[in-house]
Amino acid sequence: MDLIVCIKRVPQTAEAEVKIDASGKDIVRDRLTFDMNEADSYALEAAILLKEKFGGTITAISLGTADAEDTLRIALAKGADNAIRIKAEEFAQLDGFKTAALLKEVIKDITFDAIFTGCMATDDSYYQVGPVLAELLGVGHATLVSKVEVADGKAQVNRELEGGLIEHLEMSLPAVFAVQTGINEPRYASLIAIRRAAGKEIRVVGREEISIELKSNSTLEGLFLPPVGKRAEILSGSTDEISTKAATIIKEKGLI
Amino acid sequence: MNFDLTNDQKMLQEEVRKFAQTELAPLAPEIDKSGEFPWPNIKKMAQMGLLGVIVPEQYGGSGFDFVSLAIAVEEISRACASTGVIVAVNNSLTAYPILQFGSEDQKKRYLPPLCNGEKVGAFGLTEPNAGSDVAAMESTARLEGDCYVLNGTKRFITNAGEAGTFVVFAYTNKELKHKGISAFIVERDTPGFSLGKHEDLMGIRATANCELIFEDVKIPKENLLGKEGDGFKICMNTLDVSRIDIGAQAVGIAQAALDEAIKYSKERKAFGKPICNFGMIQSMIAEMASEIQAARLLVHYAGFCKDKGMQRFSKESAMSKYYASNIAVDVARKAVQIHGGYGYSRDYAVERLYRDAKILELYEGTSEVQKIVIARELTR
Amino acid sequence: MATILAVIEHRQGVIRDITFELLTLGRKLAEKNNAQLIGVLLGHDTQSLAESLRTHVHRLLVADHEVFSDFNGETYQQSLATIVKKESPFLTLVGNTAFGIDFAPSLATQLGFPFTTDCIGVEMVDGRIRVTRQLYDGKMDAHVQLAESTSYVLTVRSGICPAEQGGLSAEVEKIESPVVSQPDHKRFIEYIEAVVGDVDITKADVVVGVGRGIKEQANLPLVEDFAKAIGGVVACSRPIVDANWLPKDRQVGSSGKTVKPKLYIAIGISGAFQHIAGMKNSDTIIAINKDSNAPIFNEADYGIVDDLFKVLPALKNKILEIKK
Ligand SMILES: Cc1cc2nc3c(=O)[nH]c(=O)nc-3n(C[C@H](O)[C@H](O)[C@H](O)COP(=O)(O)OP(=O)(O)OC[C@H]3O[C@@H](n4cnc5c(N)ncnc54)[C@H](O)[C@@H]3O)c2cc1C
Ligand SMILES: Cc1cc2nc3c(=O)[nH]c(=O)nc-3n(C[C@H](O)[C@H](O)[C@H](O)COP(=O)(O)OP(=O)(O)OC[C@H]3O[C@@H](n4cnc5c(N)ncnc54)[C@H](O)[C@@H]3O)c2cc1C
Ligand SMILES: Cc1cc2nc3c(=O)[nH]c(=O)nc-3n(C[C@H](O)[C@H](O)[C@H](O)COP(=O)(O)OP(=O)(O)OC[C@H]3O[C@@H](n4cnc5c(N)ncnc54)[C@H](O)[C@@H]3O)c2cc1C
Repeated sequence: MDLIVCIKRVPQTAEAEVKIDASGKDIVRDRLTFDMNEADSYALEAAILLKEKFGGTITAISLGTADAEDTLRIALAKGADNAIRIKAEEFAQLDGFKTAALLKEVIKDITFDAIFTGCMATDDSYYQVGPVLAELLGVGHATLVSKVEVADGKAQVNRELEGGLIEHLEMSLPAVFAVQTGINEPRYASLIAIRRAAGKEIRVVGREEISIELKSNSTLEGLFLPPVGKRAEILSGSTDEISTKAATIIKEKGLI
Repeated sequence: MNFDLTNDQKMLQEEVRKFAQTELAPLAPEIDKSGEFPWPNIKKMAQMGLLGVIVPEQYGGSGFDFVSLAIAVEEISRACASTGVIVAVNNSLTAYPILQFGSEDQKKRYLPPLCNGEKVGAFGLTEPNAGSDVAAMESTARLEGDCYVLNGTKRFITNAGEAGTFVVFAYTNKELKHKGISAFIVERDTPGFSLGKHEDLMGIRATANCELIFEDVKIPKENLLGKEGDGFKICMNTLDVSRIDIGAQAVGIAQAALDEAIKYSKERKAFGKPICNFGMIQSMIAEMASEIQAARLLVHYAGFCKDKGMQRFSKESAMSKYYASNIAVDVARKAVQIHGGYGYSRDYAVERLYRDAKILELYEGTSEVQKIVIARELTR
Repeated sequence: MATILAVIEHRQGVIRDITFELLTLGRKLAEKNNAQLIGVLLGHDTQSLAESLRTHVHRLLVADHEVFSDFNGETYQQSLATIVKKESPFLTLVGNTAFGIDFAPSLATQLGFPFTTDCIGVEMVDGRIRVTRQLYDGKMDAHVQLAESTSYVLTVRSGICPAEQGGLSAEVEKIESPVVSQPDHKRFIEYIEAVVGDVDITKADVVVGVGRGIKEQANLPLVEDFAKAIGGVVACSRPIVDANWLPKDRQVGSSGKTVKPKLYIAIGISGAFQHIAGMKNSDTIIAINKDSNAPIFNEADYGIVDDLFKVLPALKNKILEIKK
């Protein structure tokens, strides 16, 4: 099976302090660490598992600036055979739609049986690259995928719905699968594989190689801090005092 | 002149950091308390190839250079000092001497299990009455037919309680002084070889540090490492390499302490503002960060000297170990200071890091011994 | 007259809550912009469903066909493409749910309309759509202007526009189903129910939710002891289930369970909206998180900004003291 995995390098913001930069349209990035988007690491693992079973190749593609090549190299070390970086620095206003459109321009010349993407990137939270890419390529798709099993040229696909309900689909290939987190155990790259991957060439695609004019769907006007809604009453004092206050509240509510 | 890491070193750093922070760091406080040797993580590290970083692929290793080993050891130590030592001892104190001085048969036999996690290695040099003064050792090995018969006691041996393969030093000819010391590869299950006291250590508490007791242990002749009388040379050459990794451990522990200190200083308020706003706290943070960076560069430089094939780099290696371990203790002390009373509580990582850091100035040659090495090289 | 179209979401014979939220939002936008709200219901045996919707929309289009017995993103997309082309609304609203995400982005792409996903605010400014979205793990909001067009598609996050009574009275307009069979390349097979475990977190009065802040599985007993002391059950955020530390039936949130206990204690949970969706209706929420900027504090009634490893044992002891 020939597989494609779309990978985004994103800032790790869950436990970091996030500040708005001088342009007002982006966050201050220099102090953040970057890594493969969480769902994408599951997408990559899903592709590797299929490759281990059926053979074939995996091409990892990232639209990103030069440092995305570090993330692509890790993908090569984990099991991808080829890697392509689309130079994000040469394109403006990259919303989810334009991202998908650029990916399509590169992928249209590659044969594939399946494309794996993450269901969502933790930075822009678009949930759209996978399905839009599928539509642009004219193939089927499923989002929030929690399982893909291939047999007899068909894919048995599970989608995870609200409340833990699973939607089981049968799909034909090629197709695009936008996968959920937690669906497998992403491996670490071994040192030997890292050494081999370090020397591999990463194809870089720039503005010149993309023949058509791409429009974006939307323009980001500006960032702002989420309004503090109801804001919790913060209990203050030493750990002991805080605990006493909390225990008292719990008691007053009649819960103990 | 180029300070950039190569592509493979950068990737190794990124992947090992991620692995160490996700898989090792969460366990560090727990194994510090329990003293339990972290076997599950060792198996995971074996899978990644971290137990044989500098061992060529043909012997089951990963085939990286010594700068890369230092990078890996730094990242592992930053997450868990105990695990950092275990990996360093396996790589540079056990696999390295076998790789460097062993016969082809010895390499084929002993290196793959050390790389794949089947066996962990240990290095038996120190004795109850011989530490800094290596030549004062009392262990002996006398040739009897096809075997050397080993007698003696080794003290403070890292990994010993769980190790399968030991590099052990003993006199084959006491008259020749240090030229009469030989090195052997000893397997754990050899009759007459037992473990003594398990050390209850101040820091790096999960390293299975144990006494080795040899009572008429018959070691096959093939297990002599190098030639008879090569022991001292093997030992010194090995320590030149392994001290780079102590430097790397120091940088990792210090970095962890700085990370904690910065985080805490931004959260903790005194006199109405976060303490990171106070000049004296800032001064400490600036000193810590500068010292760590200087230490890291010394460590990488020592690794670089080894990698480019320099014959003698004892000075560079001793400098990196001496300086890095020195600042690591100081950085950890300052990190505790920045935490105020909380830094003295077991609830905070800096308390552990301070204890972990102290060993760096002691093992594989105390700071005093490093200074002797450095000065001797300069006044030779 | 200008129209806004809203896609009705239902599953296993029940209209989903998001639908009424979407219709409320749609009515408000319609009112401001002098437009009509059209509800589109694709389903099978839809009579009672349709009935419950009539007061919420100006017009209700119903395509009743076997093919819609179960959900298939592809049949929805193709049907809606036909309906949207015919009705030419200036805005099509879809829930940002497992249902909406599977067809809305591709539908908009197929039609060539500007769209965006997961909106938490929608306004019309000079005939153009401007939305509010959330970025960076919910730590930033952004205003996003959509490209100029005659028609737009948006998916809207659940919980941002509380459902209100409609007060309208639309007649059901039956339409031909634009699609009569599932496509070969994507066929619905079945729903698989979540496995039921030993503890039902939806029935408990006190739920202790634990998140990634717990760092590792070995620390879970700390939370379990605490839950035991306070007489509650242990639930968790998604990453804890992803890591296999707790079974799926303990997960609170949009892809897990919805709980409404008297007391929810969130421990080391950042407060991603998917998690909030599952616990926001708890009577009292207490959050313990060392990051004072964690979004969970916007949802909680009481906050403790501190290290959970310090707070939990202390709080447990206080509770045991009081119990005595
Ligand atoms: C946790 C731990 C792990 C260890 N792991 C290993 C291991 O795996 N393998 C192994 O072989 N050993 C190991 N050791 C032993 C360690 O290498 C020795 O403890 C160390 O070399 C110092 O030797 P000593 O303890 O005998 O101190 P001594 O040599 O007795 O030194 C005592 C003091 O005198 C100073 N001193 C000694 N000679 C001089 C001099 N000439 N000039 C100035 N000052 C001097 C020393 O610097 C030190 O301050 C370990 C030790 C510990 C604590
Ligand atoms: C074992 C132990 C026993 C104790 N026993 C007692 C006791 O019996 N009675 C009692 O009352 N207390 C006791 N304490 C508390 C102890 O006195 C405090 O921990 C100590 O005063 C420091 O306060 P802190 O921990 O809150 O540090 P913080 O006030 O948080 O200070 C943190 C760091 O910031 C620095 N700092 C703070 N403000 C400034 C500033 N303006 N400029 C520059 N630097 C600043 C501090 O020096 C420190 O390095 C005990 C603590 C311990 C660990
Ligand atoms: C389609 C979809 C569906 C989803 N469904 C769900 C769902 O149903 N339920 C769900 O929960 N998530 C769901 N998610 C995932 C969601 O987006 C978040 O990733 C998740 O909720 C984050 O979990 P967390 O808060 O435990 O972890 P994090 O976001 O990593 O937060 C951990 C928190 O712990 C705090 N912390 C760390 N250490 C300590 C300490 N020592 N003391 C105190 N605090 C500490 C940190 O400050 C941080 O705020 C879904 C995602 C997608 C894309």
